[in-house]
Amino acid sequence: MTEILERISTCVEFGKVDIKSPYPPAMKDQEGAFELTRHALDEGIKPGEILEEALIPAMSRVGQKFSRNEIFVPQMLMAAKAMSSSMIHIKPYYLSGETKRRGTFIIGTVRGDLHDIGKNLVSMMIEGGGWEIIDLGVDVSTEKFIEAAEKHPGAVIGLSALLTTTMENMRKSVEVLRNRFPAMKILVGGAPVTEDFCRKIGADFYSPDPQGAVEYLKTLA
Amino acid sequence: MRLSYRYSELLTGIDALAGVMGYLPGTAPEPVTDLIAVLSEELLATGEARAEYIIFDHVNLDPVSKTVEFEGVVFHVKPIIFSQIKNAEGVALFICTAGREVGELSRKSMKEGDLLRGYVYDVIGSEVAEGAADRMQEALKTAVALSGMGITNRFSPGYCGWDVAEQHKLFSFFTENYCGITLTDSALMNPVKSVSGMIGIGRKVKYAPYKCQLCDDKNCIYRGRKT
Repeated sequence: MTEILERISTCVEFGKVDIKSPYPPAMKDQEGAFELTRHALDEGIKPGEILEEALIPAMSRVGQKFSRNEIFVPQMLMAAKAMSSSMIHIKPYYLSGETKRRGTFIIGTVRGDLHDIGKNLVSMMIEGGGWEIIDLGVDVSTEKFIEAAEKHPGAVIGLSALLTTTMENMRKSVEVLRNRFPAMKILVGGAPVTEDFCRKIGADFYSPDPQGAVEYLKTLA
Repeated sequence: MRLSYRYSELLTGIDALAGVMGYLPGTAPEPVTDLIAVLSEELLATGEARAEYIIFDHVNLDPVSKTVEFEGVVFHVKPIIFSQIKNAEGVALFICTAGREVGELSRKSMKEGDLLRGYVYDVIGSEVAEGAADRMQEALKTAVALSGMGITNRFSPGYCGWDVAEQHKLFSFFTENYCGITLTDSALMNPVKSVSGMIGIGRKVKYAPYKCQLCDDKNCIYRGRKT
């Protein structure tokens, strides 16, 4: 890996967004993910290389540290912000078709549930894993999930619920989605959700943390 | 009884909020502690939490159906909660909220892409709502102690087996909506940073220091809290 890719990766891992970011103190007044990504592209490094060799490994390290309780939600969000600053330069290449995503991931918090932080965390980590995110928001009806799945054939879908009370709505949505799209991979997550519940409702995968979802998606694309 | 609390009465410092996020005292990164300080300060100036409780002296407790009935309304609180309030002579219904502002600031920050700021607002809102419920519970405890009564823990629809749909019955008693909380069709509260529920009152009721030992839901988001 070239030095600039290593530096981008480090900036993302530690949440160094740009030159103005004072954190981490050891990197104060140094360029961050935003500037370095621009330089890398100007030097002729392909956007796909930046993604595969710098951003995805950085977010993977962040996810692993979170899984081991070495960092907490705020540091994941800081890393995600640094990744987003890098993606500002890379997104145009997706739009032009020059760079390909690994796939499309549709995500939403189920009907009746207004919580979105967990969903947003998972979205960011999966985007950091090279996937396009279709975020349907919170309080998402089964019909809205179906509509998105029809619009994005081949997409993987993720349903989130924070409350024991809305797990029932998750079960209903998964049941309908499974009948309608038998081959579609369905992921479920959220504080009250368990492996056992995932199996019972016919979803394909459950993970207690975002990194588990990222690892599972790697097996698909 | 209607109560209001300034945020400054309920927020207990940077380390406490960082602790809710997972950090041991003094270990949260500087941007996190700085942001907690800035946003707490911003909200301390104007933030107000509200709480209200109503005491019902004449209640019927049915050990067969595990229900609590008063003023013609039947609450199906289910076995775990019923076992804690079965000796009650009366009950209090309560609602509390951190208010609309903190949740709106959280959502706005998230929408604008500042997820860390949105998250910190969200944690502040949760702590304020629970803090207001703790203070309300203390006020109720003090009030009933004058009559030689004690109180149970507080129990909320949606937890310990109590169907969340019964929020609608609970809220039907708070007709003037002092706290400004509304319910969605699925019985969730808006503002989200709100708490509601029931507390048993009586000479023979007990307060369980670790309520979660009563319940086997290991994934409950309230697991481990001492209220």
